[in-house]
Amino acid sequence: MEEITYINEHLGPRHIGHFALLLAFFAAILGMVSYFMATHHRAEKLRSGKWQRLGQLSFLFHGAAVFTVIGCIFYAMLNQYYEYQYVSAHVSADLQQRYIFSAFWEGQEGSFLLWMFWHVILGYVLMVTARRWESPVMTTLCAVQVVIVSMVLGVHFGFGDWVIKLGSSPMLLLRETINAPIFQQADYVALLKGNGLNPSLQNYWMTIHPPTLFLGFASTVVPFCFAVAGLWTGEHKAWLKPALRWSLFSAGILGIGILMGAAWAYEALNFGGYWAWDPVENTSLVPWLLLVAGLHTNLVSRATGQGIRATYLFYLFTFVMIVYSTFLTRSGILGDTSVHAFTEMGLEAQLLFFLGFFGIGSAALMVWRWRSIPVPEKEESLSSREFWMFIGSLVLLMSAVLITASTSLPVYNEIREYLNPVFDGVTLTDPEAHHNRFQIWIGIFVGILSGIAHFLRWREKDFSKHSRSFLLHTLGAVAGAVVCSWLTLLWIDAGPWQFKLMLFSGWFAIWTNVDYLIRFAFKDVKVFGSGLSHIGFGLMLLGILASGANKRVISQNQFLMEGLSDDEELERTTVILIKDEPMVMENYELTLRGDTIDGFNRTYFVDYKRKDAAGRVVEEFQLEPNLLYDKTFEKIAITNPSTKHYWDKDIFTVIMSLPLEEQSLEEKRKKEDSLKYHVVSLTPGEMIDFKDTLKISQPDTFMVRDYRVSLENFARVPVHPDYEPEPKDIGVSATVAISRGKADTVYREQIALVLREGLLYHYPAQINEISTRLKIDEDIFEQLLTPEDQLDYKEFVVKPGSSFRLGDKELTFRNFKPQPEVDHYLPQEGDIAVSAQLDITDAAGNTGTMEPVFIIRDKTPSRIRDEHREFGLFSNLVNLNPETSEATLLIAQAPPRDAVRVPIAVATKSSRSDWLALQAIEFPGINLFWIGCISMMMGLLISMVLRLRMR
Amino acid sequence: MKKTYIIAIVMVAIAAFIASNAFAEGGVAPYANFSKAAETGESVKLVGTLVKDKPMVFEPLKDPNKFSFFLEDQDGTEREVILLKGKPQDFEMSESIVLTGRMEGSQFIAKDIQLKCPSKYKDEESMIKGLVE
Repeated sequence: MEEITYINEHLGPRHIGHFALLLAFFAAILGMVSYFMATHHRAEKLRSGKWQRLGQLSFLFHGAAVFTVIGCIFYAMLNQYYEYQYVSAHVSADLQQRYIFSAFWEGQEGSFLLWMFWHVILGYVLMVTARRWESPVMTTLCAVQVVIVSMVLGVHFGFGDWVIKLGSSPMLLLRETINAPIFQQADYVALLKGNGLNPSLQNYWMTIHPPTLFLGFASTVVPFCFAVAGLWTGEHKAWLKPALRWSLFSAGILGIGILMGAAWAYEALNFGGYWAWDPVENTSLVPWLLLVAGLHTNLVSRATGQGIRATYLFYLFTFVMIVYSTFLTRSGILGDTSVHAFTEMGLEAQLLFFLGFFGIGSAALMVWRWRSIPVPEKEESLSSREFWMFIGSLVLLMSAVLITASTSLPVYNEIREYLNPVFDGVTLTDPEAHHNRFQIWIGIFVGILSGIAHFLRWREKDFSKHSRSFLLHTLGAVAGAVVCSWLTLLWIDAGPWQFKLMLFSGWFAIWTNVDYLIRFAFKDVKVFGSGLSHIGFGLMLLGILASGANKRVISQNQFLMEGLSDDEELERTTVILIKDEPMVMENYELTLRGDTIDGFNRTYFVDYKRKDAAGRVVEEFQLEPNLLYDKTFEKIAITNPSTKHYWDKDIFTVIMSLPLEEQSLEEKRKKEDSLKYHVVSLTPGEMIDFKDTLKISQPDTFMVRDYRVSLENFARVPVHPDYEPEPKDIGVSATVAISRGKADTVYREQIALVLREGLLYHYPAQINEISTRLKIDEDIFEQLLTPEDQLDYKEFVVKPGSSFRLGDKELTFRNFKPQPEVDHYLPQEGDIAVSAQLDITDAAGNTGTMEPVFIIRDKTPSRIRDEHREFGLFSNLVNLNPETSEATLLIAQAPPRDAVRVPIAVATKSSRSDWLALQAIEFPGINLFWIGCISMMMGLLISMVLRLRMR
Repeated sequence: MKKTYIIAIVMVAIAAFIASNAFAEGGVAPYANFSKAAETGESVKLVGTLVKDKPMVFEPLKDPNKFSFFLEDQDGTEREVILLKGKPQDFEMSESIVLTGRMEGSQFIAKDIQLKCPSKYKDEESMIKGLVE
């Protein structure tokens, strides 16, 4: 095939980016080797120092290369170079600038780069702060970087028919990824447009959640590197101190990152909650649990020398679980079990290698060094703090194991299916219930352990001395927690006994840790971080219980259906709100007030009135749930909830459904086409009766109904509350009164029709009470429009009061009239308008009037023609001379026409479309959850800062 | 360290026991079909395809939490499904449907639904169409 020379492609970023990718890859390899040699020869200062400097230089270059790649992609994205596959997949012309970051990390390649970006930053920090640990730690970091860069390398190796693809490059051009006829055109670039960002990611949380989460993800590598360094160098105790600080940092940031994801889900998604035990959520929680377990054993190891092996294992497997999570979410193996896994990218083998290498590598290192890791002779005693901290860590491990096992079912299926192709995959029947059932016990144990462990002392040798104080405080806490739990039960309903136990456990954790803080905060400032974290944990338990187990559906189903269980009835959480018709639910009265469309975003306004027991309104507020249409208005891309926050509860509202014709333009057209319009032509003031037959499906009969329609007013300008004028609009409007049957109720509606740039815009009226739709038929314009160039105008320059003749008509220019009130001119603000009042008399003595208008709008003069149909006269006021007060008129004589008969189209079977299906939920005490989680993470970060300052 | 090891082992054993118990108790199961669902009468997960030429009824103004349609399970049995939710978007486009629910007489009462929709860009041609103005 002939080689095509493409024009207008922007290949600069591609060349630079591709080179930078290769540089990043090889610099990381060089860094790894150099740092390895530096560690290997650490006994020889000089030699080691040289290698170390080479390593530093390599990593500096590696980092610069990673930044360059990211810069190239941003450059291409900001300039909308759609010839790049990554740009066309994630950017579109209408993408707001503030979402450019979200677009960058929407794709796999971008998020890999974000991950690497943080590794580089962390690496730079380590190079400055790790001192003698720099070489061994950086060796591992470089090794990790080599593997991750290879994911975006996009290099192909061919061995005969075999092609090995190493990574997927973000710098690929669209024409390199797919084959299409369009690429036969040399100038195809001009034809491209972008696919744009997934609407659910067009949210401010998506700008801050991924970088935070990835910083958390990335930072888990540091404790991992330290653990590897400790095993490698055999200095099993020295690494514990720097590793602790880093794991505190990592746990804090990763926790905040996960929490932001929960906040995004709660604020922007429609499932009504913050946690759904989705595999992607689970696989980010598991490393956090392991890391937290690890930092507890790390504290134990530092204080007592016990549990170094456990600390190694926890830190190693935290990172391995991060890699496993990457494998699950990016290999496509989760498939249909997760709503937000990435799709396959052909990297499965590479990801598996990533996992295998670090998983097996970690295990091998442990086995190799197992015996050399020091273990104190003496066991920890039952009454020592370290013992119970161990148990706590094990509980966290158990939680991680259970979550991982359930989340790995797709992996299990895959393996079984590989071995036995007829094997049917298994799934969790109800994942949420499944996880909640186990994790509640984790919560209970951790809550209680966190209290007890704090009351015990490190390396307790003589518990009898302290047993009195321990018992006193513990019993106090139990009593306090019982009382608090009882008080809480007055507020919320905790449900089954396990929940009540969790409530107790939460209060126990809060009580004991407050007690502990009060007693020790002044003696040892470190207590502050751990106290805050554990109080946060207790608050979180209360928050989960209050908001989860006690969430109250306000929008309870109003429709009866036989034979449903209570559980199933609870699923029916949607109500229909009809515009302006108040709906009473529980202690609320909801009213849909209306909606606005801004771009693709449609916002509904729902009034809430909260009533007390006596039915008095105690509070009024408005919520604004909204939705985003896709770019063609053919479907709803996403619905966004709206939430009213109180200190003790949230009111959450989300749109569940809209009338079909409001969901898509296509459906709207279909509905309009399906309506059978009955057209009646009326002159203003006229009234007409007609009959309509309605088919009743069962039994097969017909019903005949009478309608009475009258045209009360007609104007040659569009008058309608929804109409917003634009220059050059031509339009008409009418006031129509309609009644059905013998009923006395007459519905009076304003309808309009506008011709704008060759397109017709209807402003119909829907009368829901009689399922009737009214509009002005398009044929109206055939009666009205007479092109200017078909008219033979004559010019007259006349003074007020003077008369002139045109054919057999005598016209008198009576006077000018400022601010004319005529039916063919719609005044707008800032208009300067004057009309010429003309009286007409024909040969037979018939009289009539015309009033052409001259306006200056936006400093531009223009004119509005008037027509006298029976006389066939058209008149224009083209100029007025203020000095002589003369008017310049253009008058034309055309064949006379009948008065306008306004065709009014009436459809009598038009169902209403002014409703929405809404879900409203009250989440009590949800702030306890947020405050608890935030305190937990803050406690971790405070601990890190305190420990950093102590050195 | 022995005590902690013992406790660790005990805990892992408990975890394994709980997990396997939960998995055995029907917490984990392969996708059922209608006849199996009718047999057990309990909540199951079921996969099938939409029967496109049978009526789909969703009348939100009458009941916004009820949508009925016909589903053909993997064995080719057709049953009416009552979904206790509104009609999901892109319902007709679904390749396969996963339901959570139980049989009640000849109807399947579904609490939850998951749609497997074909990827927006089934082939390169339609993908390119989406990217060209």
